[in-house]
Amino acid sequence: MPATMNPATSRIQVRPSAEREGRKDYISIRDYGFWYGQKKALDAISLDIPERQVVAFIGPSGCGKSTLLRNLNRMNDLVDGISHEGDITINGRSIYDPGLEVISLRRRVGMVFQKSNPFPKSIYENVVFALRVMGVRDRSILDEACETSLRKAALWDEVKDRLQDSALGLSGGQMQRLCIARAIANRPEILLMDEPCSALDPIATGKIEELIHELKEQFTIVIVTHSMQQAARVSDRTAFFYLGKQIEYDTTEKIFMNPSQAQTEAYISGRFG
Amino acid sequence: METSDKKAQPAPESRFTVSAWTLATDRWMGRVIRVGGVGVVLAVFGMLAFLIFQVFPLFTGAKVASVGVLKVPATAVAFGEDEYGDIPYVVLADGKVVFQRAKDGSTALEWVPSLGGRTVTAVRTYPRAGQVFLGLSDGAVQELRVVYRSSFDAAGKRTVEPTVTALEPMQVGRPGLPCLEVWNAKSPQARLMLVRQEVAGQPLLTAVRLTERKGLGGKAKVTQSEPFVVAADAPSVAKVLLPSTAESLLIIGKTGEVRTYADDGKGFAFLQAFVPFKDSPDAAITAAGMIFGNVSVVFTGRSGEQQIWSMYPQLQPDGKSLRRWGKIHHGERLAGPGAGIYAAEGNKCYLAVAAGELRLINMTTGSLRWQGAAPQGAITQVAFAGNYDRFTALSADGQLHRWTVVDHHPESSWSAFFGKIWYEGATEPAYTWQSSAGSDEFEAKYSLVPLFYGTVKGTIYALLFALPIALTAAVYVSQFLRPEYRQVIKPVMEIMASLPSVVLGFLAGLWLAPLVDPRLVSLFCAIGILAPAALSAGFLWSALPQRLRRQVAPGMEFLWLLPFLALCAWAAWQAGPAVEAALFTVKDSASGLPIADFREWWRQTTGETYDSRNSLVVGFVMGFAVIPIVFTIAEDALSNVPNSLISGSLALGASRWQTVWSVVVPTAISGIVSGVMIGFGRAIGETMIVVMATGNTAVMDSNPFSGMRTLSANIAVELPEAAVGHTHYRALFLGACCLFLLTFVINTLAEVLRQRLRERYKVV
Repeated sequence: MPATMNPATSRIQVRPSAEREGRKDYISIRDYGFWYGQKKALDAISLDIPERQVVAFIGPSGCGKSTLLRNLNRMNDLVDGISHEGDITINGRSIYDPGLEVISLRRRVGMVFQKSNPFPKSIYENVVFALRVMGVRDRSILDEACETSLRKAALWDEVKDRLQDSALGLSGGQMQRLCIARAIANRPEILLMDEPCSALDPIATGKIEELIHELKEQFTIVIVTHSMQQAARVSDRTAFFYLGKQIEYDTTEKIFMNPSQAQTEAYISGRFG
Repeated sequence: METSDKKAQPAPESRFTVSAWTLATDRWMGRVIRVGGVGVVLAVFGMLAFLIFQVFPLFTGAKVASVGVLKVPATAVAFGEDEYGDIPYVVLADGKVVFQRAKDGSTALEWVPSLGGRTVTAVRTYPRAGQVFLGLSDGAVQELRVVYRSSFDAAGKRTVEPTVTALEPMQVGRPGLPCLEVWNAKSPQARLMLVRQEVAGQPLLTAVRLTERKGLGGKAKVTQSEPFVVAADAPSVAKVLLPSTAESLLIIGKTGEVRTYADDGKGFAFLQAFVPFKDSPDAAITAAGMIFGNVSVVFTGRSGEQQIWSMYPQLQPDGKSLRRWGKIHHGERLAGPGAGIYAAEGNKCYLAVAAGELRLINMTTGSLRWQGAAPQGAITQVAFAGNYDRFTALSADGQLHRWTVVDHHPESSWSAFFGKIWYEGATEPAYTWQSSAGSDEFEAKYSLVPLFYGTVKGTIYALLFALPIALTAAVYVSQFLRPEYRQVIKPVMEIMASLPSVVLGFLAGLWLAPLVDPRLVSLFCAIGILAPAALSAGFLWSALPQRLRRQVAPGMEFLWLLPFLALCAWAAWQAGPAVEAALFTVKDSASGLPIADFREWWRQTTGETYDSRNSLVVGFVMGFAVIPIVFTIAEDALSNVPNSLISGSLALGASRWQTVWSVVVPTAISGIVSGVMIGFGRAIGETMIVVMATGNTAVMDSNPFSGMRTLSANIAVELPEAAVGHTHYRALFLGACCLFLLTFVINTLAEVLRQRLRERYKVV
């Protein structure tokens, strides 16, 4: 309904999403609540993330979007005094299944952090780290995985001549793409991205966004972002959170063009947040 | 309205000026800090400079200066002098004794013997004892006693007046034959007088013993033995060496053979014959001299070669160990054939005269203390002053040459401190530290090598114990333990670091060592069981179903691990005696019955010693001193690894241990290395624990059940008894200097390594 289009949202360009084959409820979050000690950080979240699509979590700071993201691979387990209710399933299996090792969950669900965190090792060793901890010793497999991952992360041409150099000599954008390459090296199914571009300049951001588009052919991607433009550009579906509650979850087009909730509309048009 | 108007007014200029007080403080604080920084650097280098200043004199040679030549009658054959060398005397060939004042050469006294028709055929003086012996033409010997009487006049001026007392001549040699040479020596029991005569070209050595008994009245009664022939089997006599203790006798033959004899109570029994220069074309011995201490002899040959022979226990073919003469050193070659070897008094130096050159050499280390030109005339006698500050030489052209010596550290040299030295009386060259003994003739031994060895040994044992515990504890506390426990453990460990080491040493020596001693096997079992027990506990834990494991919060696993380990250790401790009985049963050397005793087993099986204050105890307790330091620094470094790296690793599917091992430890490695190095420095310099918990024997022995002496403990133990400025004192400073350099080098290397690691594993 172009007639009701908000002037603010009209500036945001939404990339039309192509529906792909795959489970519609690949990741399923049901009545999910989460506490840090006594503080409830998430309340009654229920959403389904389809396979091989990009889902963006947006919302103002402290709304719980990063908390939810970090719970998808149970990174919050490191924090003291956490508890949850409801359930999250991936491909039908609960991530809280007592028989499921958290390590195998994390191998299935890769993660890219807000601030790039390359290890103080060579570029090569960074990329093959996940394979090494899985026990892969075969040099040819490692070499191949390194090249494939770096190519997928669009970094190969820039670093192929200095794979043994320290990863800390790369630029900020390169480091973040290296972290993406590292996360996809052991071929996870899901890639979680926690504000991956917040510390990058526009050119590097553009490259990462291009990358996300290519990666969604193979991975289900969940991205947390503060930039609504970015959410609009890269995602197929968008969830808007506010104060730990899920306000609205729909296709990106719908959220940005015709949100059903007033809060959503207010947030994406820049009236608060 | 009014207030807002005031605010809007332009601020006065003074608002932007900085107060003079702030500027002055800033400037002054800058200066104070600079002074402090420079002061620290200066203090460190000042300390090094002080140490070097103390040590430097050890490596300077002797300073010898000629203080004049005294013209004496040309027929002078022997000389002697008083304590100060003010009025030396010479004995002329006819037995006349002439005293001359050193400062102007004027004659103070001339003494003429009354011999009753006999003539003097041999003269020997013993300047230190004030004895002159005149061998007479009929085989008798007359002893003269030279005494210097000091008197002070009214003005307090000292005048020295020499007197000569002649004793009654004594028949020593075969009557009617002239004495060719005469010697005198004194053993604790008796005095010995020896003369050389010649019968039809064959040498004849005859001796008498004089036993002195003090009666109740205080009057000495001297008994003279019958003259007895000595060394009748010697084919020729070129030179006789009679030690001042008269306990042995060396006859050097004209062909270069040395025949030695030992006092057997009645006479001198043949002991041993050897030819020092048997491998040289000419085996003749041109000069020989007995070194102070009467145990070693220096021989020089025709081409200037020197050999030093000494008496030390040697294994005989029949398995017994007997004291025999053997070569212990090859001296440096002299410029020409040796013309005389004259021993110094009070130390092991000697003056070698050869080819117009004088060399002052230390016998033990072989170091050349001084070298100078010899006077024109052939030197016939040299005498050193008792305190080694002067020596005087008589030359055949009637001149008395006098030198002063400044040589405070004759026994020191690089080889004495760091080399393997064959000390006289020892059976082989060795690194020895032994700074004092009961006798004046004792030669102090200052090898720092055993102390280095002890230092390194103690440090290694301490680190072997401390590093695994400290580092694994640091990893555990920083990465696995819950923060609330960490906040308790950290300060407790820091308090442990401030525990005075004297307390630890006290506990080690007086409580731990006696406690551990009888239960050594139990202790080994208890310690040995810990690692396997911990590992098997880990396996058991991972085999438990998830549901059970979920019951224990992450980081709380130690709550059941600790009791489990304690139980294992207790069981192993209890099982110790059984293990000892099973493995270490030996036959008791005293009763012949089998006993289960590890200590006895160790002694019998390895042949090594077992001390209850041993390296293990030191390592154990010194480890306790080192653990908190290493732990604190390593734990800090590990805790400072950014969480983002840990999260990154965990998110990639690494386990906690994989994260620690492949991300956290490499990132923190520079901090861990500096922790280890600081612990190392602490262990190297640790003093009180070593002093109190070991026997402080300077042995070089890798046996874990023997003690040690470290450089620092050595200083603590011996500095109070070292005389300031003495070689012993400076040797201790040399040890301090070495310790300083050792820690300096190690810390520098560690810092370089740390910087490299930091560069390699730095985090963005």
